[in-house]
Amino acid sequence: MAQVLTIDPVTRIEGHARIKIHLDEQGRVSDARVAISALRGFEQFVVGRPAEEIPRIVSRICGICPWMHHLAAVKAIDGCFGVTPTPAGHRLRELCQVMAHIHDKILHFFFLAAPDFVLGPDSDFSVRNIMGMVRQDPELAARVVRMRQLGQVMLDRFAGKSIHPVAGVVGGFAKPMSAEERSDLQRDGATLLDFASFALDYAKERVFHRYREEMQSLGAITTGFLGTIDDQGGLQLYDGRLRLMHASGTTVDFPAADYAQHLSEQVEPWSSAKMVYAKSWQEGFSLDPAAPKGVYRVNTLARLNVCDHIGTPRAQAELEDFRAQFGRPAQGTLLYHWARLIELIYACERTQELLADDRITDPHIRNTATPQAGRGIGCVEAPRGTLIHEYATDDNGCITSANLIVGTTHNIAPMNLSVRQAAASLIHDGVYDEAILNRVEMAVRAYDP
Amino acid sequence: MCLAIPMQVVEIKGGGDPLFDPQVALVENDGIRKEIRLEMADRVPAVGEYVIIHAGFAIRTLTEEEAEYNLSLMRQMATVLEEQGRLPEAPE
Repeated sequence: MAQVLTIDPVTRIEGHARIKIHLDEQGRVSDARVAISALRGFEQFVVGRPAEEIPRIVSRICGICPWMHHLAAVKAIDGCFGVTPTPAGHRLRELCQVMAHIHDKILHFFFLAAPDFVLGPDSDFSVRNIMGMVRQDPELAARVVRMRQLGQVMLDRFAGKSIHPVAGVVGGFAKPMSAEERSDLQRDGATLLDFASFALDYAKERVFHRYREEMQSLGAITTGFLGTIDDQGGLQLYDGRLRLMHASGTTVDFPAADYAQHLSEQVEPWSSAKMVYAKSWQEGFSLDPAAPKGVYRVNTLARLNVCDHIGTPRAQAELEDFRAQFGRPAQGTLLYHWARLIELIYACERTQELLADDRITDPHIRNTATPQAGRGIGCVEAPRGTLIHEYATDDNGCITSANLIVGTTHNIAPMNLSVRQAAASLIHDGVYDEAILNRVEMAVRAYDP
Repeated sequence: MCLAIPMQVVEIKGGGDPLFDPQVALVENDGIRKEIRLEMADRVPAVGEYVIIHAGFAIRTLTEEEAEYNLSLMRQMATVLEEQGRLPEAPE
């Protein structure tokens, strides 16, 4: 008899995702879908509000990644009011953003992903969690907790409570950095960079090589990629041009403000969440697993695939090693984890690079902005992918329209393809067990929805 | 997009050993109760305070005042959707 298996909610992605696997009468996977609870209503809710309030409001509502939304919104409002932030304003914003990336990556890799790898995907659910990790390696677990807290404390100390950032302001940044703050951050940043290097070495030596085959096969699909680069094609998280890479490796670069010429949004009848596809490939949009169309991915693996190089030395060396092993573009879904740890190194190195530059203490942090009618698009690379905020304002500087594309929205289509691929390759004749279902979940966890 | 819905701490449990029996919080919102881990929070919250949860971990503590403000923003959002007849359903 045909049946539907529901994995609800996806373990450790509590409240966010639900997987349904449809089996036909022969027990073969006929379909599999992942549903993500999406935020609805924000775009209507902000209409009529003063634009300069939006960066503070959005960081309260989207409090999982408050800094990313805060900065995408403030960049968009810069555009509405026609103001260019000062160089110091941009540097301080970027510093806060890369520091926010650091603790997100430590959380994701060690707390959410590592139990699958360190304890093994077949281990019992009751131990396959952070407590199982603690029992296996208490020293490592204690160090991870210390490092993640250090990342957060650094951000709090300089910019205020990081769950509700208010430090980004239209035209720049709210406070300059003192010499003392700078040297404190440099000291703690060095500790985090050491830990980041240790984390990737640990993962490569102790974890990834044991799952070499699965890293490339589980949930594997072939798609394009989207990420942000600088003028020389280097990896960027805070600002730059977008690069859309086709699965064949061909690329097109464009300013984030032109996103609507290249990407199109659509709501599938079976999903409450909107999906985005690469309109400029002119092949339409299809989630047919045999021949998907218009599907691209964002987030760590995508950023490493689209960039030509990384501007910091340790991360660049790791990128070269990664490419030598997996090619470009690398398609293996679990490689998102490996890419995440390379980005952790980049974020730590970039923190140190920004702090090493004397201009970080430049007191000219803000240009004056006057509320006016306009339109602005702000884009940053968030932990979960390319984050786009677009607003229009009236003569009083109040919002007249808003559109957001968040990281996970880009990845919903490929997540569906990966879940279907994983389920179809693991479930035969209607036979499945907890270890199989966990592997299906791992295909979703790689994307970190 | 993930809503950061604050949940109120109703009880703090455990704490016999910082590593092997860490403190956990029992939290509640809208009739849903669950136990969540505190390793990733900025501090151990007091009973009555709120936490923002990501993937089973409290990632940040909030005072009641902060949480009430955030919840009021979310209620306003829901009201806008309700007026337009577009209140989101649970994912299918």
